[in-house]
Amino acid sequence: MSLLKPFSKLPELNTANILLVENEEQFQQILAETIVLLKKNVNVNVRLARSLPLPIENEKFRPRIDLVVFIINLTSELSYQSAEVSLKFLDPDYFLGKVCFLVTNARNASVPPERLISVRKLVASLHCPLLFAEDQMTDGVNTAAHRLLAILKVTSGHVPMATGLYLSSLTRCTVPSDIDQQNFD
Amino acid sequence: MHESLLKQWSSDGVQQENVQSLDKESEVEEAAPFNVPFYTECSEAAQAELINQCEGQFAQLEMLQNQIIFAEPDPDESTQELSVNRLTAVAAELKQWQTMQPELLSPNSEVLLAVGAEELQKLNSQLELVFSCSQAKRDKLRESLKREQKWLEEKKEVFRAATEHVANQRLENERLSENRVLRDTKKKIQKMKDYQDRLMETLADILEEHFPLPTMETSVNKKKKNIPQDLNQDLLSLNEILELLMNKTLDTPHDPYVRIDETFWPPYTEMLLRYGIALRHPEDCFKIRLEAFY
Repeated sequence: MSLLKPFSKLPELNTANILLVENEEQFQQILAETIVLLKKNVNVNVRLARSLPLPIENEKFRPRIDLVVFIINLTSELSYQSAEVSLKFLDPDYFLGKVCFLVTNARNASVPPERLISVRKLVASLHCPLLFAEDQMTDGVNTAAHRLLAILKVTSGHVPMATGLYLSSLTRCTVPSDIDQQNFD
Repeated sequence: MHESLLKQWSSDGVQQENVQSLDKESEVEEAAPFNVPFYTECSEAAQAELINQCEGQFAQLEMLQNQIIFAEPDPDESTQELSVNRLTAVAAELKQWQTMQPELLSPNSEVLLAVGAEELQKLNSQLELVFSCSQAKRDKLRESLKREQKWLEEKKEVFRAATEHVANQRLENERLSENRVLRDTKKKIQKMKDYQDRLMETLADILEEHFPLPTMETSVNKKKKNIPQDLNQDLLSLNEILELLMNKTLDTPHDPYVRIDETFWPPYTEMLLRYGIALRHPEDCFKIRLEAFY
């Protein structure tokens, strides 16, 4: 089992690397292109993967990953399961502020509410931030890209006086108590 | 300016039992020009100083990185609870923040000036953005206020019109109801009058048919013909007697009595008294009145 480690490589100058993990590869692609086109003052490399672990022979060329984003499409159970499996291939150090989750299609009426609850519970148990994105419109994609870029800048150390751990402590997902109560019932 | 280069490659099955696409890892790379305009404004000495500083920091970074890589991995670490791990990390960060001394970005005043200027420019552009945004918002609000006021005016007008209409309707309604009561009463009165007329007519018919005046009987009492003929001249018919009685009762209800004189044919008077249609005065036997039927 090859774990992806956050501190195994030397950071490059003025560079931030983001890894988008999505089973379905659709939103991932659009989001990557949007992030690349955003105006920013650091070089951003976007890396895409369907799932973890990442292949070993790219290990040499792969830069240090500053932020891992799991994209979960709520309409598909497989998307959630895939993300859950992929989580095992991350070094625990990543969960100190270098992982975040992006949920799409949360407003879709066909989504069973339990799935969102289970996603929230998973994310809350990992102390990670949970973002929601609208993937149908360019505005929504742009917003998501801006948010991810803001987090990436912090986790890659380009924002003075802020660290990923600090940010994620403030923005981590919490499970509302009423959901807990519903489950107890 | 932004030149994006989309590079994708897929690996050839590191884990061969997996489907190839699952192992795919692709990269989107961007070579953006990293603009540092303020370098040009600094003198060479300042630039050299900055570069030296950066090199020193990078050397420190490399040293720390090596320390991380060569540090013995804690065997317990993987089994440790995530939240405990997090707690330790946060505590460490807190300690670091507490022990850290604030230091100047660079001792060179030129560099500080350039950085300050850049920061101010950035702030300026951001504030301009906020300003234009708030202006747009204000204009929008003003417009919506105008719209709302217009709307309010319209609503007020509608309200006024509706109130007026309601008042009109109420008036109309009242008038209509008065009219209706009037009409109903008139109709009832008319009906009563008709009924009375019919009753009167019927009574007249009956009286005419069954109670003729004694002048009509010519066959009997030829001997006494002279006497009744005298009387007959101004005798009243039963019809007239009843009319007289009724009129007296209605006109002077306090004194309904009618004096009997020779124009009253005695048999008729007797009949009226006997059948309880008329009553005699308790003291004056020459006075009669209509029985109180009402």
